[in-house]
Amino acid sequence: MRSRLLLGLLVLALIVALVPSADAQKRGGTLTIVRPTDPVSLDPNLETTAPGAWVYFNMLEGLLTLDEKMQVKPLLATSYEVMSPTKVRFKLRPNVKFHDGTPFNAAAVKFTFERALKGTPPARWASLAGSLDGAEVVDDLTVDVITKEPYGPILRTLAMYCMGMVSPTAVQKLGADFSRAPVGTGPFKFVEWKTNTHVIIERNNDYWGDKALVDRVIFKVVPEEGARMIALQTGDADMVLFPSPAQLPALRKDSKFTVHETTGIRVVFAGFHAGMPPLDDVRVRQALLHAVDRKAILDNIMEGSAGPARGVLAPGVFGYKDMQLDKVYPFDRAKAKALLAQAGWTPGPDGMMQKGGQKLTLSWLAARGRYPKDGEITEAIQAMFKDVGVEAKVQVLEWAAVFQQVRANPLNHHMFTLGWVTSNADADYSLYALFHSKQVPPAGWNTSRYANPRVDTLVEQARRSLNQTEREKLYGEVQDILTKEMVWIPVYTTKEIIVTRANVKGFHIHPVEYNLALWKTSVEK
Amino acid sequence: MLTFIVRRLLLAIPVLLGVVFVVMLTVDLLPGDAVTLMLGEHATKEAVAKLRDYLGLDKPFAVRYLEYVGRVARGDLGRSIQQNRPVASELADAWPATLQLTIAALVIAAVVGVTAGVASAVWPNSVFDALARLGSLFGLSMPIFWTGLVLIVIFSLWLNWLPVGGSGSLSHLVLPAVTLALPSVAMLARMTRSAVLDVLREDYVRTARAKGVGEALVLSRHALRNAFIPIVTLLGLQSGQLMGGAVLTETVFAWPGLGRLMVKAIFARDYVLLQGAVLVFALAFVIINLLVDLSYGLLDPRVARQG
Repeated sequence: MRSRLLLGLLVLALIVALVPSADAQKRGGTLTIVRPTDPVSLDPNLETTAPGAWVYFNMLEGLLTLDEKMQVKPLLATSYEVMSPTKVRFKLRPNVKFHDGTPFNAAAVKFTFERALKGTPPARWASLAGSLDGAEVVDDLTVDVITKEPYGPILRTLAMYCMGMVSPTAVQKLGADFSRAPVGTGPFKFVEWKTNTHVIIERNNDYWGDKALVDRVIFKVVPEEGARMIALQTGDADMVLFPSPAQLPALRKDSKFTVHETTGIRVVFAGFHAGMPPLDDVRVRQALLHAVDRKAILDNIMEGSAGPARGVLAPGVFGYKDMQLDKVYPFDRAKAKALLAQAGWTPGPDGMMQKGGQKLTLSWLAARGRYPKDGEITEAIQAMFKDVGVEAKVQVLEWAAVFQQVRANPLNHHMFTLGWVTSNADADYSLYALFHSKQVPPAGWNTSRYANPRVDTLVEQARRSLNQTEREKLYGEVQDILTKEMVWIPVYTTKEIIVTRANVKGFHIHPVEYNLALWKTSVEK
Repeated sequence: MLTFIVRRLLLAIPVLLGVVFVVMLTVDLLPGDAVTLMLGEHATKEAVAKLRDYLGLDKPFAVRYLEYVGRVARGDLGRSIQQNRPVASELADAWPATLQLTIAALVIAAVVGVTAGVASAVWPNSVFDALARLGSLFGLSMPIFWTGLVLIVIFSLWLNWLPVGGSGSLSHLVLPAVTLALPSVAMLARMTRSAVLDVLREDYVRTARAKGVGEALVLSRHALRNAFIPIVTLLGLQSGQLMGGAVLTETVFAWPGLGRLMVKAIFARDYVLLQGAVLVFALAFVIINLLVDLSYGLLDPRVARQG
């Protein structure tokens, strides 16, 4: 009996050994991706936006990375140790080579940071990197990362998509051309870029980790949304970035396609200028929050393409706390009117709120098309304000023009429709730049002109601490204060949505739009 | 003849200078600025200042204009502000695609448009004439954007004969070229019809018929040659139109041409790249107009004698 079982097991083992491994079956093929725009550059020094990042994220690797659950994971570094408030020591992964054969070592880390932070002009991502000052070589596989001042968000900063290490030899050899043919250590390497047509990358067969499954990836440019969707249907494309929201309900039901979605890290909001009467009165701001039916906006305008905004941060961000806005500021017109009455605003003969013969009129700056449905949500809120007797005068301009005005000081509008991405997924990036009283434009992004000394102290303390538990607590308190003094109407949290054909397997969508990881993705025949 | 060509080419210089001036001034007057757009929402004040200084955007308008003109005169179109890549390489990438598309569309427009127009004129008020006139109306009134998408749905999605978009092979060229040519086909057909009808009523055509010349010869030797002057003029204007109007077609069919390059440059306020592209367009217009003028001489000996 026993020997028969053993024999059975042996036979089974033999069969298993004869069948090619599932991995081998999945290997090979081409993954074709269509997206709306060509990259500006494939060098993070020159481009930090999605069209370039989607491609170089698969070729260049940083010391650390953020996984799909927004946890920091080692990549080219294997471990780290905090040496002092301004110095973190990293052990580097041994036996890693760049695509051109150059060994990856501490000198390459130093080179990458020096080129980006001290070069002329500095890298586009220098502004995203906070206090990062550079790196010092300890030995070949040990490097100290230095910050100008104690900088709590350092780990998440180093894990950003644009912090990829570049081959020093390739940079020196290629010069300006490096921007169009980058050399990193990643699972894919560069093949070809035909401007406004496609970028091709292929599997790096000498990769230090698990090798990519598909042979090559082609990123095609298809600017027109309808044409992108048709390309997916005809099989000209396997994956669509920026799919048409209107077609999503049908695609979700169709077994030929897979809709990948996850909550993103951008919050789109209608902001108040808290320094400009009547919005300097917190009761008026609270009234306006009560006046807006945010659920109706999500259901009827966003139609499932966005998630609710639970606060000023998106849930994936380190330090996020659920501000429970739906409980604190439920949609309640009576309450809105009562709060306005407390602030001295009463309905006039035409039903519009007034005080001393002055109407409650707000001027509002908005773009159309910068963020999904930004124009539509602005109009919806404008109409909801009218229902509680508040008139909003909306000025819709092209994004570049809106941008210039909100970056200027003073700001001559009561409200503005904006979106904010917590780029390094650390609360510091938002709570400091958006709500510290010294961050009023042009210095930072406190477009609301919010000023609270306690918040200033808290965000400064949290920035200087390298104790992540303590930091989380400090950010919690900041968000508690902001909940009471609301200077935004947070409207929605973006969703990242990508549609693939059903034979595309192993793809995991990431909350950070730029982190398009393709090495675990396969295309089945 | 040669002095005529040289004179015309010299006249192009002030035209190009003016074009550059207008484009540069327009970009300058537009709200929004290349550097802040490039560095994004999160840029620090210092980073913006450094980059502006590096790109020389802080200099007064007049200085930048003269510097630019000086560089162009030396054959240097500069580097794209956004991509830090030579504008000449950007244009070299996009220009052949635009040229290919324009020529294909022009050939379709000329062959189909003129043939349909002549046929309509020879058999006026026939069934063919009615259909051609209806078709022309359709071609003129349908927006390129919509026609393009409809053609994609029919030929790519349903019939699966042609690729959805992109460039590379002749099959990629068919749909965008047809889409782009449609309005021109319509316009040329209408123009040819009326021009040929006018000529057919002339005395010398009646004379030719009276002395027994065959109808085919009357048409080709006497009628068409005279009708061709307005047709060629329109064709020249159309080729300019096709080049510039290709933006929408290029967008729908993901065609990597100059039109899309220009739109990208405008949104990024990349005036160096934009000017490079506009210069190419302006130069092309000048050359096409010259060719049209020269062709008058070939078609009509009287013009040649005057010139």
